[in-house]
Parts: sequence; structure tokens; C-alpha cells
Amino acid sequence: MKLLVESSQKNKLYDTYSDGIILPLNGYSVESVQYYTLEEIKEIVKNVSCEVFIKMNKNFMNEEIDSLKDILLELESLPIKGIFFYDLAVLEIKREYSLKVDLVWNQTHMVNNYKTCDYYYSKGVRYALLGKEITLEEIKEIVKQSKISSMVEVVSRPSVAFSKRSLVTNYWKDCGKEGNSSLMVHENGTNMDYHLLENEDGTSFFLDTIVNGTCVLKDLYDAKTPYIIMREYGLEDCFEELIVDTKDYIKGNCLDSSYLEKYKKLGDYTNFFFRKTIYRVKKNG
Amino acid sequence: MDKVELLSPAGDLERLKVTLLYGADAVYIGGQNYSLRANANNFSLEEIREGCLFAHRLGKRVHLTLNIVFHNEDMEEVEKYIRDVVDCGIDAFIVSDPFIISYIKKNFSNVEVHLSTQNSTSNYKAIEFFEKEGIDRVVLARELSKKQIQEIIQKVHADIEVFIHGAMCTCFSGRCALSNYVTNRDANRGGCAQVCRFVFSNSSEKDFTMALKDMNMAKYIQDLIEIGVKSFKVEGRMRSLYYLAVVIGTYRKIIDGYYQHTLTDDQMKIYQERLDRVANRETSSHYFMKEADYTDQYYSGRGEVSNQDYLGQVIEYNSKSKFVKFYERNYFEVGDTVELFTPNGEQIEFVVEELYDEDMNVVDVARHPDSIYYLYLDTKKDITEYSMIKIVKRRDVHE
Repeated sequence: MKLLVESSQKNKLYDTYSDGIILPLNGYSVESVQYYTLEEIKEIVKNVSCEVFIKMNKNFMNEEIDSLKDILLELESLPIKGIFFYDLAVLEIKREYSLKVDLVWNQTHMVNNYKTCDYYYSKGVRYALLGKEITLEEIKEIVKQSKISSMVEVVSRPSVAFSKRSLVTNYWKDCGKEGNSSLMVHENGTNMDYHLLENEDGTSFFLDTIVNGTCVLKDLYDAKTPYIIMREYGLEDCFEELIVDTKDYIKGNCLDSSYLEKYKKLGDYTNFFFRKTIYRVKKNG
Repeated sequence: MDKVELLSPAGDLERLKVTLLYGADAVYIGGQNYSLRANANNFSLEEIREGCLFAHRLGKRVHLTLNIVFHNEDMEEVEKYIRDVVDCGIDAFIVSDPFIISYIKKNFSNVEVHLSTQNSTSNYKAIEFFEKEGIDRVVLARELSKKQIQEIIQKVHADIEVFIHGAMCTCFSGRCALSNYVTNRDANRGGCAQVCRFVFSNSSEKDFTMALKDMNMAKYIQDLIEIGVKSFKVEGRMRSLYYLAVVIGTYRKIIDGYYQHTLTDDQMKIYQERLDRVANRETSSHYFMKEADYTDQYYSGRGEVSNQDYLGQVIEYNSKSKFVKFYERNYFEVGDTVELFTPNGEQIEFVVEELYDEDMNVVDVARHPDSIYYLYLDTKKDITEYSMIKIVKRRDVHE
């Protein structure tokens, strides 16, 4: 089981501690807190020896397709392991130009079953970042049943929604104030905070609570999950230590109970790993 | 030129019939599984069959939503379900999952597959991918401008469908799990709790809201037809019969007026007023003519108002006795000026002079919703079941 990390700080990539890094490409990716230009990515891949994945998970518009194609052709020549995509335009361009670069199906909340994973696999997609709103049992079933290489986000402040709208700018305008592009809001019913982060592509929503999936690592390891992902945002103070310890924990076959004890400090929020969503609140008919 | 399709939502069999009678060319419905409105009444297989028969007798079509984001367990019975609903006679599936698209296209040649807006398809290149998978139609993301829609139509072969009226999601469709996190209700399996209409607090400033105004594209119907859109979709499988009758009936007139070259500015003003009157929120064309901005949102809650214009739903008209039999929906009384409008577009404005309860006792007011009443109306116009009565002007109490 390999550990991929997405840093929230430009000067720290954690490439020497992890098996791979995720670099969101500026202008082509959303729902991240740190982005990299193509030039920066070119420099990084020259200097790291771990696996490098590029995130291009934006919904693209017509006028972006030509530059998307150009970027994909440039990335093709770099030693990168794969590209995270949301928009099927990416897959179509890969097919059209017979690109060799591997893709990661990353339709944020939609990667939820093994048959669709296998569909994408049959179209040349090698990896899938599974949805964060499914249970551990569902994840294990996908890992077991699908030919695709699954990735599971285990520790993060999860991104929960994305709007093309400038929701933070609009809010400040309504307040009659100049504000920055970041806004923390509170949902009273659940007593949870959400962090809204706006840029020129739209507004990303992050749950301001750490999902602590350290307790599912053993299950994922036993299920032979190919990749787990940890995202630094919100964990800047302890992230390096976390990934070093996690690598050691995996190396020891996820048997060291002191690791679990230590990382109880990240909190007890386990997102949907042990909680099924509901969708029908009244009986039909 | 093929006439554009007017596609109406229908949350149940009665809505299906009413919207087709009021001028929809096709309806989209949800079955009891796999639909993104899990809490609408939705259709049993028998009701789907009956709905298809009703639609096909009128030369119209039925599209079935199968657009949830599937979990492993949802896959277990879906293939059987697809066979069953094809057997019921549906004309098209609305699907977001490409595995399901591929399954249907491989196994059923007699039914179309439409890509759901849940995919938020926003460019021609993504459509080229789905065209190779056999998709017949794409329902575009609601974040596109006129120019972007036009370019897509010019570059792809699949039919293009766009939303023209109704409520809007704040986030890209499919790219929002706020409902999952805030209410544990799965947005992508039909349980969306509309969290984007909730009020959030902020520790230092006023509350944060992001609720959107509804979409209303009435004044851009001509533009949409002329750039080549093939289908106009109205949102709202859970909307009332009255709302659907007014919205569908009004768009029917706008579309027909365009093709018949009879649409005038004065008529458009009246149609716009009818649509505005039935709406419970303000409206906008959002991204169509500009980048969506500050003006498209509400900043102090859900921004909804209730509408009590709807007075009654006609059960039947006796042309001999001249009595209209109807279900009362909202309070009205003798002396009120009302309008009775019919599925075939007739509008009759009159003052209520005689009102009777179900036992034909004379009454002054109709005050019991869902009760049967009668009113007297001397007209030669064809008043049919599902005609609607709405208020025009309340009686002046000083008269």
C-alpha cells in the first residue's frame, strides 16, 4: 500500500517521506489549497524520485479545450505517474492523441461502485480515487472486485462541494466590505464549520474537521488497497511526522498499535467510513 | 426545422397527464429506484406503463431518470429494472453513470440514452467521448453561456437539451456533497436536502447564504431555438399541478408563437407576468448572457414567498347545467374575479356569482382545501378536467 500526499505548502513536498506526491496544476484543478504552474511542475519532477501525480480535476469550458490538449501533450513528455481528472474531455483527449500517460478517475463524489470503475478501466483509466462518502465496506468491495487501482483518501479536511460562482466575493459585497477570498462559516444544526476558498475558477468548500482514517489503514492494507492519500491542509503542524509514522506503520504491516494510539490526537471524526448515508426519507407509493 | 421539444417534470401520474395536456411534448419521470428525487412520489412499474400509454396516445414521449450515482449495492438489481422499464414503453433513459449508458446501448436498441445534467457536461470534447459511447442527447451543465452552448451544438452530433426554468443548484450538479455532510442525506442518490438554501453563521459578520434565484429563460426562447437547442427542460418534479400547468402552458404558447411568427412584445409581457406570478422566487438567466454574479443570489435566507393564486382544479364541466365542479385549493368567495384556464389554452375571466358546496347548498365562500365545490359559469368554451382556477382580483369589500 503506497502513500500519496498533497502538500498545502509550496516549500514542502514531502517527497522523501512518501511514495508519491500530488501536484494540483494551476488553472486546471480545483478543490485544493496549493497550486503549481507547469514550469514549477517541470522543475519538481526533475528533482524528486517518488511518484508524481498531477491534479487536473476542473470542469472545463470549450475555450479551455485547446490549452488542455496542449498541456496534456506537454505532460506526456514528463516522468509523471498519472493525472487526476474529473472532466471526460481529459479522457477523450488521451484517446484522441493516444497518450500514454495514465489517468486517475477523480469525479469527486461519484466514484462509488466497482462496475463503473471497471468501465473506466476498460477505457484505459488505470486508477480511481474513490468517493469520500462511501463506507469502508463499500471501499473494500471496490478494491476487491475492480481491476482498477483504487486510491482512498484517509486523512484530510475533505473537499465537499465546488461552485463556479464567486460566493465569497458576493458575500463580502453584500456586507459592503472588502474581504479576502477565504471565509469560515458555521452550520448550526451539526455544529460544524466549513471553509470556503475562492479563486478565479470558483469556490471550493472544505469541511473544517479532520477526517481521521488512521483507524481504517489496517483494513485497507489487508484488503490490498493500492494507494492511500493524506492531504496536509489543516495538519501543517504535524504532517511530516504523520507521514513518516504512517510509512513506518505500513512497513510493519499495520500492526503497531502505538501508531493508532498516537494519532487519536487527530480526533474521532471518521467521515463515512462507518456511516451509511440515507437518501429516502419517505416511503414511496 | 424540427420543432424544439418542451420537456416537463412529472412527479406522479397525475402530473404526467396534466403537463402533457398543457402542452409538454415529453415528460421526465422517476421510478421508485435510481432517481435523483427519491422523495417525490415516483412511479411504480404499472404507473410507468400507464404513463407511457397515455403519452404515446397523444404522440408524446416519456423519459425515465436513472441518474443516481450508483453504489455497489445499487448495481445488483439495476439490469433487471432497466429491462422492466423498457418493457413498460419508455422512450429514453436519463443517465449519469457511463457504465449504465454503455449497458443500455449494448442491450436495447429501441430506447434513447440521455446524459444527465448530473455530469455537469460543459464542453464539446467531453460530449465527443460520450458520443462514441452511443449517447443520443446531452443535458448540459447549467453554468454555460449562449456562446458556449452554441459552440457545443456546432461541434457535436448529439442532441442538446438545456434547462430553461426552475430552481438552480449553487454548485456544479454532481459536484456537491453538502447534503451528505450536513444531513447525512445522499445528494447523488436522490436525497439532496438543498443545503445550499440553508443559512450558515459567521462569527464576525452577517450570516452567509448562497441560495440562488430560479432560472427563467422565457425571453431567450428565440435565441435558444435559433442556436439549435433540441429540448427545453423545466425543473420541478415535486412542484404543484398548478405551477406545472401555468409554466408548461405558458412556454407552450411562447414556443408556438415563435414558430407561427405571432409572438408579440405585448404577449411576451403577459407570458412573463404569468411565469413571475406563479414563481416562489425571483428569477434570472444566470450564465446565459453574462458570467453569473452577485445579482443571481439571495443574501438573507431562502428568498421564497408562498403563492395563493391557485383557487381550484376542475373535475368536470356540465355544459347543460353550466356548473363547474372543482376541488378547492385556496380560499375565495363570491364577488372575486377569477380566471379559469384550460389545458388547450383557453382563458376565461369572470366574477364568481354563484358558489355551492358538494351538496349543492349555496355558500358565499370556498374555504376548505381539497373539498368539492361548484360554481356557475355560462360559457361555450371547452372546459375539461384539469382546467385550473386562479385569482385575478379579490372582491372589493367596500362595494
